[in-house]
Amino acid sequence: MDKIDEFLLSELSQGISLTAKPFNNIAVKLGISSEEVLTRLVKLKQAGVIRRFGATLKPNNIGLIANAVIAWRVPSVRTNEVGKYFSSFSEVTHCYERSTVQGCWEYNMYIVMHAQEQQIIEQRVKSLAKTIGIFEYVILYSKRDLKHR
Amino acid sequence: MTSKLPLDEGSKKVQTYLLDDIDKQLLQFLQDDFPLVESPWSEIGNKLGMYEDQIVTRIEKLFAVGVIRKIGPIVNLSKIGYQSTTLVALCVPENQVDNVASIINQYSNISHNYERAHKYNVWFTLAAKSEEELTYTLNEILQKTGVNQNDVLNLHTIQRFKINVNFKLKNNDV
Repeated sequence: MDKIDEFLLSELSQGISLTAKPFNNIAVKLGISSEEVLTRLVKLKQAGVIRRFGATLKPNNIGLIANAVIAWRVPSVRTNEVGKYFSSFSEVTHCYERSTVQGCWEYNMYIVMHAQEQQIIEQRVKSLAKTIGIFEYVILYSKRDLKHR
Repeated sequence: MTSKLPLDEGSKKVQTYLLDDIDKQLLQFLQDDFPLVESPWSEIGNKLGMYEDQIVTRIEKLFAVGVIRKIGPIVNLSKIGYQSTTLVALCVPENQVDNVASIINQYSNISHNYERAHKYNVWFTLAAKSEEELTYTLNEILQKTGVNQNDVLNLHTIQRFKINVNFKLKNNDV
């Protein structure tokens, strides 16, 4: 990553325009050719700096009205096994192991799930719990996206 | 097959927009196979058997109805130095949620911020270049919002197993 890469990512943080050649405007701003913009983007993607290039959708507006964080209390010897298992489901978009707050919040494994309705999430969570034999969990349904209002 | 979609979760009257099969195909393409070429809309048109202006019109529509949030790079923060990340939960009185949220949203290293149905009702993720910076930022947020240290859960990331927010639209279950 050099300065130009940083500028490029910052220029693109709001996304590209719908003009015929959207990378040209950015190239002009950065004083490089549009070929170079594209080569840099491909390299950043290969290096994993850009996780993905494309559209970000609002789950609520594609029918996935229900979404929840489910926090689980997983014995530390089982976190890898359970984390991999959770991650294998397409409706699980995020899976993280996190620190706990002793005596107050003992959940250490977090998944994010999206579905058409809360009932579906509840059913899926119940069946996951049964499969892994872990019943200490809490479902945190989202009420509102506070960032993208 | 089409499905009814609510346009605005916050509005009392739920509006609906119908995604047709072409929308779904286009959205899937825009998510998973975006072409990094000089004229991407024309290229997508070629792939889907449509004209460039038809593609652009559809995308404009999908932006207008709030289905697409952005078309661009999703940056892996940990690869650009933001190695310390945490999920923070706050216990905030109902009538102060909006105010607290707008203070949190002023920080550029916040990636998600949701109101959730729980005693801990405001949940956001925070990234920083070091643990010290993370603690500093969080303390600053708490100070500005007036949230008590006892009403905070600071849940540091230990291990990331998965992040993949590409949604499947081609099948008819959406």
